[in-house]
Amino acid sequence: MVVESHPHASRRRFARLAAAIATLAIISATFATTGAAAPERRASQAGGGEITFGLEAETSLGFCLPSAQLAISGIQVVAAIYDTLVVPNSKGEMVPYLAKSVEPNADFTEWTITLREGVTFHDGTPVDAEAIKLNLDSYAGKNPDQSAPLFSALIGAYFSSTEVVDPLTVKVVLSRSVHDYPSALYATGRLGMMAPAQIGAEDCSTNMIGSGPFKLVEWLQNERLVVEKNPDYWQPGYPKADQITFIPQPDAPQRITALEGGELDMLHTSSGIQIARLRGLGNQFKLLTQKPGFREIRYYFVNASKPPFDNPEAREALALALNREEINEIQNQGVFEVANSIMDRKVPGYEKNAGYPKFNLKKAKAAVAAVEAESGPITVTLLTTNDTENAREAQTIAQQIEKAGMTADIQQVDQAALIGQALGGNFGIFLWRNLHGGSQHPDFDTYSWFGLTEAGTPYLTNFGRITDTDLQALFDEGRGASDINEIERIYKGVNERIAEIVGLIPVWYVDWTIASTPDVKVTLPKLPDGGGKPLFVYGRIPVLGLTKK
Amino acid sequence: MSTARVVAMRVVQLVVVLWIVVTFTFFLVRILPGDPVDVIVPNQVGAQGRAAAQAVREHLGLDRPLYEQYFDYVGDVARGDLGRNYATNVAVTDTLKQALPVSLQLMIYAQILALAFAIPLGVFSAYRAGSRADRAISTTSFALLALPNFVLALVLSYFVGVELEWLPTSGYAPGWLDPLFGRSGALDLGRHLEVMVLPAVSLAAGQIAIYMRLLRSDMIATLQENFITMAKSKGLSNRRILWRHALRPSSLTLLTVAGLNMGALIGGAVVVEVIYGMPGMGLKIFQALSARQYVELQGFVLVIALLFVLINFLVDFLYAVLDPRIRRARAAA
Amino acid sequence: MPAQPPDNDGVPRVTEAVMWAADHGGAEATPSDAEALQVLAVESGDEGRKKGRGLGLGAWLAIGWITLIVVSGALAHLNVLPLDNPTTDVDAFCARRGPFANEGTAEGHLLGCDTNGRDLASRVIYGGGLSMMIAVGAVALGLAIGGTLGMVAGFFGGRVDAVLTSSFNVMLSVPAVILALALTAFLQKPPEEAGGGTALPVEVTLILAIGIVSIPLLGRITRASALSWSQREFVLAARAQGAKNLRIMVREVLPNVLPAMASIALLGIAVAIVAEGALSILGVGMKPPTPSWGTIIGLDRGALNSSPHIIFVPSILTFVTVLALNFLGDVVRARFDVREAGI
Repeated sequence: MVVESHPHASRRRFARLAAAIATLAIISATFATTGAAAPERRASQAGGGEITFGLEAETSLGFCLPSAQLAISGIQVVAAIYDTLVVPNSKGEMVPYLAKSVEPNADFTEWTITLREGVTFHDGTPVDAEAIKLNLDSYAGKNPDQSAPLFSALIGAYFSSTEVVDPLTVKVVLSRSVHDYPSALYATGRLGMMAPAQIGAEDCSTNMIGSGPFKLVEWLQNERLVVEKNPDYWQPGYPKADQITFIPQPDAPQRITALEGGELDMLHTSSGIQIARLRGLGNQFKLLTQKPGFREIRYYFVNASKPPFDNPEAREALALALNREEINEIQNQGVFEVANSIMDRKVPGYEKNAGYPKFNLKKAKAAVAAVEAESGPITVTLLTTNDTENAREAQTIAQQIEKAGMTADIQQVDQAALIGQALGGNFGIFLWRNLHGGSQHPDFDTYSWFGLTEAGTPYLTNFGRITDTDLQALFDEGRGASDINEIERIYKGVNERIAEIVGLIPVWYVDWTIASTPDVKVTLPKLPDGGGKPLFVYGRIPVLGLTKK
Repeated sequence: MSTARVVAMRVVQLVVVLWIVVTFTFFLVRILPGDPVDVIVPNQVGAQGRAAAQAVREHLGLDRPLYEQYFDYVGDVARGDLGRNYATNVAVTDTLKQALPVSLQLMIYAQILALAFAIPLGVFSAYRAGSRADRAISTTSFALLALPNFVLALVLSYFVGVELEWLPTSGYAPGWLDPLFGRSGALDLGRHLEVMVLPAVSLAAGQIAIYMRLLRSDMIATLQENFITMAKSKGLSNRRILWRHALRPSSLTLLTVAGLNMGALIGGAVVVEVIYGMPGMGLKIFQALSARQYVELQGFVLVIALLFVLINFLVDFLYAVLDPRIRRARAAA
Repeated sequence: MPAQPPDNDGVPRVTEAVMWAADHGGAEATPSDAEALQVLAVESGDEGRKKGRGLGLGAWLAIGWITLIVVSGALAHLNVLPLDNPTTDVDAFCARRGPFANEGTAEGHLLGCDTNGRDLASRVIYGGGLSMMIAVGAVALGLAIGGTLGMVAGFFGGRVDAVLTSSFNVMLSVPAVILALALTAFLQKPPEEAGGGTALPVEVTLILAIGIVSIPLLGRITRASALSWSQREFVLAARAQGAKNLRIMVREVLPNVLPAMASIALLGIAVAIVAEGALSILGVGMKPPTPSWGTIIGLDRGALNSSPHIIFVPSILTFVTVLALNFLGDVVRARFDVREAGI
């Protein structure tokens, strides 16, 4: 009913004029009463330019990293302000980054971290062994001044102690052999090294001090987070850009509108329908879309700790009821690949189809009826965030669930509250997106999400509360495995077992896409010390080489 | 009745209303189903969660008798402690300092715009009462009254912002009032006004109709009075009669309504701010709601209600003191 | 009568009206402001519509429109219309074409599809019924409580009136939008938190919140009308004949007050429809996928750029419905010459 119109230049000029007159009217009225100063536009500077990046969410809980709950947008900010000791390269190997080297002993129970000389935090204090020890102790939950609810469970479980060998060397002692320890030092980009002044401080979540390429200028929650070039950065010649402003805009369509309107220079999006829209815009923007290999998976956690899904038959019924092709079609216009695995192609353990039940409404209805006959009506709480894309998806799921005879109750909260709700187990289905296996060893990236602690209870981030002994046996075996064939066999087993018990429902592989205006350049500097090319995870753009004309 | 007595009565009324507003917000958090602490901090796992739950428990003091909790709350409010967002640990008052100037400026612009349109239109249609133009204006204003401001906001956002790309449809740039509240950010008034245009228009449209109709009927009454007839007989020009002699006595009601509207607009701006992603009180309320930060929400509701009451009081008070007719009426009584 | 006699509490009549108008100036109350003002205070006397026999074309159109919305909504809820189930049916055509199918008039989609592959026409028809039901429910609640209190205040006057009137004033001292929002937010059931306890269905919280907010408004109108009628000769006559208060109130005063109540109720429903829309956009409206006009707008607000029809259809429907209700309210007022006939 609305015809697409292409404004002519003259019409637009008139429009500008009209807008300007209207604006002037307000200005004169305002100035008459206030006598405010004349507008002062910031002069554009030479150099790498100032870039405005539209994030998909605000990190409302802040950036006190050990206690933070970082999703992709938060990790993006962390990548600008902090460095991690190691990073993955394009082959999925963990290579030293802020650390000069990270070496295990023969049985993988002791890891020696050697640091670079002369690197400082933004407050001028040195990145030395004491500082790194304080960081690692804090993440492991061994620092009484700093809480680390999630990491202490993940890393603290097999963490014994750290010791300062010399000013640039730290030794980490583990309680058992862990081959994938470097992945724990990266934690998908979450384990940034903080200046000692930030750790345990009152304003830890807002006063970010790292050693990364950019320094914090200001953070206005839900509005903008501004960082400026760190002139003393340890990688000579970097960063390129003078300033990056991160603007949280949870609404995917509005993010693109802001890009079109020039309020943003770049954005990231994982919404298929918005990616289709961006593609439809032709050459107006540069698009980078992640290729298969180490993609994130969109999936739904199913809460196995309480009714209805503590009953395996109810989980089975759910899997039968969900038409994932239809969800993908409505949500992404079918541009994404439907997933039947928790890992992507290049991760050991990948399977094209790990064995999830196929959509079958008739069987689903029968299964629902069987469960309901036994334990009463099934009501499913659908937990997700409050942006429009998730709201759409939740509605489609709700519709399919209701068609199969169950009742759906959609609960939408903001991202910070979402993880709180999930941690509290207040859901039936929980819409999630995660990267399981960003490296050649999926240990760290899987057990924490689906496994049990030494005490036999699910990890906090095991949102689905899976307590499967077969699965746990595989995780324990995997932790000690170092042979690639061995790793592949074990994690294929993990993949299949999760499918068998319907521990979750995978939906699609996320083709994260970065869109930027033509004047923004994304270059990928090689990793230091011959570490190879960095792994380009497109939801998180490497900030080092960004420039804008 | 002496002026002093009027003032005293007004102040007593104000205190009573303030007290009721504070009491109302006190009970808001306490009508939450279940244990309010569990609702406010759903995630009490880990040291952080437990600390937050403890902080809420202390702030609300739920284990103590209700009257103690109540006096504590009143004391906290009096001291300017409205609690925190227990997820981010940011004080509600800090968030308020960020949000208030945004909403206040939006409100002021909407008001200026509304008056700028309503006064000439009102004067004109009173002068030409019953004419075709008057009827056209009347009909338009009747339609404007039926136009919800969120509908107008969405329509403007689409046609002016998206289709024509004249003006931005989201975001904010600090203006002249922000530094007063210590709100950071580079001052860029051009951009500030640009982002303000659409929200201000969306908010002003309904007001234009109200103000216009009000002024029109007041003007019509005034134009029938003797002194206007006298002015006409003296041969003064119509323009002079309208703007000099008729507008002034007719505009008192209008200005009062406009003044009282300042408070109401704060509440009215809520939806418009959400649609335009403008970080004022409305958007903060929306965000507090979706983060289920009930203590924060309680603080915002309290402050908006207090502002509203205070502005109403001031305007009403000024009106009572300034309007000669009322003083005369009092003297007679 | 250009002079405004002082009210019993020393507040000039116009100020009261003005305060009230100001209070409505908010997001959802706009439509009724000027109307309310005219009803209560402004003796315009130059209104175009005069008391007459026929209703006029406009009124019939308005009645027709409201009837259409109500009847089609009700039929949709009863599932007798050939529509998709607005909460569960995904249409293959819509799903395939996506929300970009603006031109979705093909294959029987009169108004196109929404972003969830659903037929938009089915949803707005169903949603209109729901919006209307909530609005009518809220006004009925407001009228039941506010109207009764207003009657009592106006009829008895004196101390009862003083107490009730100042209670109305106090309730009006919190902005209506904020009050409704606070009530809905705090009354609604939070997700399964520990001891989520007894919570009300969303429809009920909306009706309660909007209804409570409307009590003082409806109360004041009724009071003003009741006050003027209670001092008429026939009331005094009934009293002289020894009729009981209750009987006089119901038999003599109420029938005369009803036109004023009907007029303000129509305006009130319009305000309530807008209020429901605003609350939905703020995220405290009906739960998706259940459609009301407000939730359709609120949920697909993000699709404004790509598929504006989804937003415009319910927006236009809201506008036209509010317009029709305002118009009818005006007609009722003009027909029955409702005004505050002095005190």
